[in-house]
Amino acid sequence: MSENMEELLEDFIYWQARVNGRLQDAEIHPAMSLLDLLRDELRLTGTHMGCMTGHCGACTVLIDGKVAKSCITPAASVQGKSVTTLEGLASDGDPHPVQQAFAEESGFQCGYCAPGMVLTTAELLAKTTDPSDEEIQQALAGNLCRCTGYQSILRAVRKAAARLAD
Amino acid sequence: MADPTAAPYVGGKVANQSGAAVSSGQAKYTADFEFHGQLHAHIVRSPHAAADILGVDTSDALKVAGVVMAMDGREAAEHLDPIPHYIDAAVFGGRTTDVRCLALDAVRHYGQPVAVVVAADKRTAQYAASRVRVSYKRREAVVDAHDALKPDAPRVIPDWDANLIMQVPFIGGDAEQAFKDADKIVRTRINIHRQSTQPIETRVYNAVWDLQEQRITLYATAQNPHPLRYVLAKTLRMPENRVRIVAPTTGGAFGLKMHGHPEEALMCLLARLTGLPVKWVESREECLLVGGREQSHEVELALRKDGRILGLRDRFVANTGAPTACPGWGMAFLTGLTMPGPYDIANVDVLMSAAVTNKPPWNASRGYGKEATALALELSLDRAARELDMDPAELRCQNFVQPEDFPKKTPTGLILDSGDYGTTVRKTLEVIDYEGWRAKQAELRDAGRYLGIGIAYELTPEGGSLPGTMVAGYDSSTVQADPSGTITVITGVTNPGTGNPTGIAQIVADELGVPIDTIRVVQGDTETCPYGFGNYSGRSTIVGGGAAALAAQEIKEKVIKVAAGLMETTEDSIQIAGGLVTSSENPDARLSFADVCYAAYTRAYDVAACIEPPLQATRTFRPGLISHAPDEEGKINPYPSYSNAAYATVCEVDIETGKVTLLRFAVTHDCGKVINPILVEGQACGAIAFGVGGMLGEQILHDAEGHQLTNDFINYTMPRAADVPAIDVAHHDSPNPVTYMGMKGAGEAGVGGSAAAVVNAVNDALAPFGVEITDLPVSAPRVWAAIRAARAQPKRKVA
Repeated sequence: MSENMEELLEDFIYWQARVNGRLQDAEIHPAMSLLDLLRDELRLTGTHMGCMTGHCGACTVLIDGKVAKSCITPAASVQGKSVTTLEGLASDGDPHPVQQAFAEESGFQCGYCAPGMVLTTAELLAKTTDPSDEEIQQALAGNLCRCTGYQSILRAVRKAAARLAD
Repeated sequence: MADPTAAPYVGGKVANQSGAAVSSGQAKYTADFEFHGQLHAHIVRSPHAAADILGVDTSDALKVAGVVMAMDGREAAEHLDPIPHYIDAAVFGGRTTDVRCLALDAVRHYGQPVAVVVAADKRTAQYAASRVRVSYKRREAVVDAHDALKPDAPRVIPDWDANLIMQVPFIGGDAEQAFKDADKIVRTRINIHRQSTQPIETRVYNAVWDLQEQRITLYATAQNPHPLRYVLAKTLRMPENRVRIVAPTTGGAFGLKMHGHPEEALMCLLARLTGLPVKWVESREECLLVGGREQSHEVELALRKDGRILGLRDRFVANTGAPTACPGWGMAFLTGLTMPGPYDIANVDVLMSAAVTNKPPWNASRGYGKEATALALELSLDRAARELDMDPAELRCQNFVQPEDFPKKTPTGLILDSGDYGTTVRKTLEVIDYEGWRAKQAELRDAGRYLGIGIAYELTPEGGSLPGTMVAGYDSSTVQADPSGTITVITGVTNPGTGNPTGIAQIVADELGVPIDTIRVVQGDTETCPYGFGNYSGRSTIVGGGAAALAAQEIKEKVIKVAAGLMETTEDSIQIAGGLVTSSENPDARLSFADVCYAAYTRAYDVAACIEPPLQATRTFRPGLISHAPDEEGKINPYPSYSNAAYATVCEVDIETGKVTLLRFAVTHDCGKVINPILVEGQACGAIAFGVGGMLGEQILHDAEGHQLTNDFINYTMPRAADVPAIDVAHHDSPNPVTYMGMKGAGEAGVGGSAAAVVNAVNDALAPFGVEITDLPVSAPRVWAAIRAARAQPKRKVA
């Protein structure tokens, strides 16, 4: 390091977790968000940056099966845990019923909010397959969509629920 | 209802074809592109609304390990010319000024780019940017538009003689006489607050320099790739054919991603200078700087006592913020031009003033000013109905342009193509059960609950074309039938995230008689697509789809000729359906569409000698009705299509907290021929959410010195799932005579009509208190304050 040069002094940490079923590791900065780790280090770009303050939900992932905003989740806090992104929701190449319902009902327009809408719905329907409209709206309260006015999203959730209830 | 998986596809509920990619996380947006050697840029922005720049010192930033480059406005100006204006006011006789990528000697608004730092990763770039030292000498900022127009106001642009881009009168008939003849004059002052479009995907640019070709490729959230290429060539002083724009999957646009933004050319320059890819991802705080819609209107209606409107006057001022190369300011022009909306008012006297201030600039915002026309008219009409003690629907129906009047020339020179406004209103009232809600309203009022019912109409000129600008009315598509029978449609219109490729595929599938899953629509690359103008003004399916239909018809003619040769039958007897080619004269002869395509490519000297190979055609759709030749009064008609819709909503106001809850929403939409109800209703519902959110929560605030206070989604409260009620969408389609199959635009209608319906509903709910809010929004604190003020002075009306 030359004397004119200023280094961002910091200790990197060794990080390990299961992402979409695969064990992954990386050297990360302690302040790195889970979102940046997923997108920039692991190149899982299906998780989207919308606000970096936890308000829009485009960065939603599942951590040990629970919905979380990856933009405000320090990557270091998921050490050893299991993370599922939208890319990892399908099993054996078959789309999850929620993914299928969103595709069939066009429960999106631009698709940028899809990670949050689909994963949050998957979490909701894991608890109940007969949610009321109010329960659906409450579950999706942390996810903004700017395109649909939510009508087609609600249709997709209802369809997924009906399919899972069968 | 037609089976959406079988022909004919047009009119059917065909699912958005990107569903599988989107729902599995495979859709690739601009930020998802990463190239070898990728660098990241961070922009240093002005903390002041108005200041002289005394000096920029980047030396400390350059000392940070990983920093590749740091640049101020002076250095940037050595390489970059001013950004050409998307819509230059000078073309229309207005004031103009140079807009540069980085501020040179002075900043004109909070958040203006002053310097840029490039580093190996985004965290380093951000840190180093904090080490750039800028010395400013602050000057007095002008924030309010009315203050800006005072003669002694400080000038936003020092060499302008007024803080005014332009002032435009929109005059028809004899308003003065109409006001003399009136039984009643109703005055309404309407303040529309600053809002912002805020797609969930912010702007992203990633510039890649190609040393061999001396060519720049910009991966960009860009609605208009080809026109952006022109702008970049000019700004970068490069030949236009060495600039390529790629617009990948876009996460919503709504006008924000129309160009003129400083970061576009800046990233290209940085890539050229470093020889490495340079990426910039806009933060939400930066995105919220881009605003729109702020206008204040003083509307006067001259009425006969039976409710007929004889004349309209409006003096309105738009606070367009600081000058920009983006097309935002043009919205104010459209607000005036769209007067008097769907109403047959012969005598109109409107004066538009597009002011500049030290607020951050506007960009286009879905509705493009036409939403402000709807708000101004519809709030005024409701006040008139109250003052005349008339039903608001009745007052509107009495004053509409009638179905037999089309094509109807308006006092401002527009030529309305078609419509049946009265029926559209009546249908909406039926759908929402207007009478039922009125009864319920009366019943609940006795129980101390305050329901309100609001209606509004909106006329939305779409598909616009402004002479001398890159706002073109036409567009082009190429249809190619491949040797294996698959179809590639390459079009100049782009998809901001609406699903228009699905609509275009439906059109082409029906024209050719092939299954829709054999069609792929390609968009958003200036080196792949025919020259096109992209997405704006609800135009993409009208012109992109219309052009694709013409090209498909040309391909079909060629396929029929070759098929007739192959089947040894006449061309007239050939039919193509479901990808099969048959002849009514020879029932035994059946060929697949693919077989005929293969022959068309490979047998150019026998059966295919009758056509010009290959099976590829590029056509342009240039809709009629647009007229750029000024009439005797100097007026033009820049639009081919006039979508329109009636809106009705029911709200309940909690009079203790001021909170407005919407219980029901209905719309009857006339966008001409509906290609796909899923897409059209998606557009309508999305636009309604814009209108609802804009009135109930969204507001961009600045302090008195022009610092922006609204910087995240906690402060900018867009509607969430529970905030948008169930929306019933009905259609009343009056086909447009000058477009393919009678289409009208479907992308913009909804913002203003729904906003006005919400405000009218709130005021209807609060009528017992004598409260009428026209100083927007109708957010809970404002509604609460208005109720409180009214209760404190029970005998007086509170505006």
